[in-house]
Amino acid sequence: MEPQSFVEIKEEWDIVGARQMGRNIAKEAGFGTVDQARIATAISELARNIYLYAGSGTISYEILEKMGRKGLIITATDSGPGIPDLSLVMEDGYTTSGGLGAGLPGVKRLSDEFDLRSEEGKGTTVQCIKWVR
Amino acid sequence: MDGKLKEIVLENSDVIVQKWLEEINSDKEKSNIKSIPDELFETTNREFVNVIFRSIKNNMEPASVENFAEKVINLGWPLSYITDGLQVFRRVMVNYIVNQPAEQRDIADFTEVMKSVDDWLDPIIRQLVDEYTGSWEQTVSMQKVALQELSAPIIPLVDNITAMPLVGTIDTERAKLIMENLLDGVINHNSQVVLIDITGVPIVDTMVAHHIIKAAEAVRLVGATCILVGIRPEIAQTIVNLGIDLSKFPTQSTMEKGFRRALELTDRKIVEFDRKDENVENLIHSIKGE
Amino acid sequence: MRIPILKLNNYLLISIQTEIDDNTAIQFQEDLLNKIHQNGSSGVVIDLTSVEIIDSFIAKVLGDVISMSDLMGAKVVLTGIQPAVALTLIDLGIHLQDVPTAMDLEQGLVKLYQELGE
Repeated sequence: MEPQSFVEIKEEWDIVGARQMGRNIAKEAGFGTVDQARIATAISELARNIYLYAGSGTISYEILEKMGRKGLIITATDSGPGIPDLSLVMEDGYTTSGGLGAGLPGVKRLSDEFDLRSEEGKGTTVQCIKWVR
Repeated sequence: MDGKLKEIVLENSDVIVQKWLEEINSDKEKSNIKSIPDELFETTNREFVNVIFRSIKNNMEPASVENFAEKVINLGWPLSYITDGLQVFRRVMVNYIVNQPAEQRDIADFTEVMKSVDDWLDPIIRQLVDEYTGSWEQTVSMQKVALQELSAPIIPLVDNITAMPLVGTIDTERAKLIMENLLDGVINHNSQVVLIDITGVPIVDTMVAHHIIKAAEAVRLVGATCILVGIRPEIAQTIVNLGIDLSKFPTQSTMEKGFRRALELTDRKIVEFDRKDENVENLIHSIKGE
Repeated sequence: MRIPILKLNNYLLISIQTEIDDNTAIQFQEDLLNKIHQNGSSGVVIDLTSVEIIDSFIAKVLGDVISMSDLMGAKVVLTGIQPAVALTLIDLGIHLQDVPTAMDLEQGLVKLYQELGE
C-alpha cells in the first residue's frame, strides 16, 4: 500500500467506496475488528458531510508511525461553503439536513484525535487520527 | 598519555580502592541503603570496585558489568548506589592522579586527566543505567499484561446467563477492552442476560458510570439484557449524588438477587427439593405417635 | 439494488446481506411500509447479522422505519447486531432506546410474540 492514498467523493456511492477502502487500510495496518468498524463509520460520516454540504471533496488516508506507535490519519477536505459556527456543529443533535445530528461529534468520539478547520466560503478540513492498540 | 595515566592508576589501585571504600562507607549513613548489613555491603563494594578496575584495564568488560548489575538489581538496591559510587570513584581517582608529582604523570592538564577518567567510567555507568532501566521496563510491561489478563473474565453460569465481575480501577483504556470482551462473550455464550458485578470496583465516578451505561446499552443492542449487581451503599449514594441516571437499567444489590432476576427474565426459577431433615422429623414424629 | 422482504404468516422477515448505501436504505424504507400495508403485518424482524457498518444516516433510516411501522401497527425487532456495530453506534451517540433487540432470528421471533402479547 502507498503511504498516502485517497478517494474522491462526487456521488453517493463514493461514500461506500471510501469507507470500504478505509476498512481495508485499517485491517492491513493491524486494527482490531471494533476499531475497523469505528474507522469505517467515521469515514462514512465524513464522506456523507462532503457529499451533502460541499458536493465534492476528498477523503485521504495516511499511515503514521511515531514513537513506536502506529496510527491512521483520515483527512476529509472540501472546498464547499464552510461551517459558520464550529461550536454549534459539535453539539449533539444539531442538524441542518434532518439527520440525527450525530455526525461530527460522533466522529470525534470514534477517533483518538480530532481536528476541525473551516473557513466560510473556502471549505472545510476535518482530520482524525486513530492509534493501533 | 592515556596509557601512562592508566599505569599509574592500576599500579596504585590498592590506595585508590582504600580511599573509595572509606568514602563510600561514610556515605552509607546518609543514603537510603543504611539498613543493609555491613558485611554484604562490603563484599558488594569490593566486587563493584573490582568490576571498575577490570573494566579500565581491559578497555570495557561488558559481561562482568552485566553480572554485577544483575546482582545489585536482584538485591533491590537503588540505582543511586551505583551512580553515587561511580561519582565518588571519579573524584577519588582524579584527586589521586592530580596529587602525583608532575614528572610522574607526564601531563599537567587537568582537563586531559578528566577526559581520560570519563572515557574509562562513562561506558560503565551507561551500561549499568541501561541494565537498570531495562529491568524496570520489563517489570512495567509484565504488570501491564497482568492487568490486561485480570481485566474482565466472562463466566457462563447456566444456559443463557453469564456474569462478568469487574475488579479494580476502571480507566478509559480498560473500559474499552472490557466492553469488547463483554460483547464478544455475550455472543459466544449466547447469553440473554449478563450480570455485571461491580463489588470489586472501588470508586464509581461519572466516568466509570458512563462506561458502565455505554456497556449496558451496547449489550442491549446486540440483543441481551444487562443487570448491574454488587452496588454497595456508598456507591448508590455517589451515583445519586452525582446525578447519574441508572434508572433505565435493572440493578440489584447482590449477585444472588441478580441471578434470580436473570432466571425470571429467561423464564426459569429455583426449585428447592423437600428437605431431608423434614422427613426425619416426620419419622421421629411417627415413632412418638406409636 | 433492493433488499428482499419475506412474509411469514403475520410477520415480515428481512435479512440485510449487503453493504447498504443511502439509496438502498430509503428504497427499503418504502418497500417495507408498502408490504406492511399490503399484508396487514403485525410484526417485523430485521436481521443485521451480516451488516458490518451502521453510520448515523442508516441508523436514522432504521429508527424512522421502526417508528413508521409502529404507526402502522407493526412492531419491529432488530436482531444480530454485531458487537463492533453496537460499540460504534454507542460512540456515535445513537442508542435506539425504544427498539426491541434480540441476538438472532429465533430469539427475535420469541421477542415479537412477547411484545405483541400473543
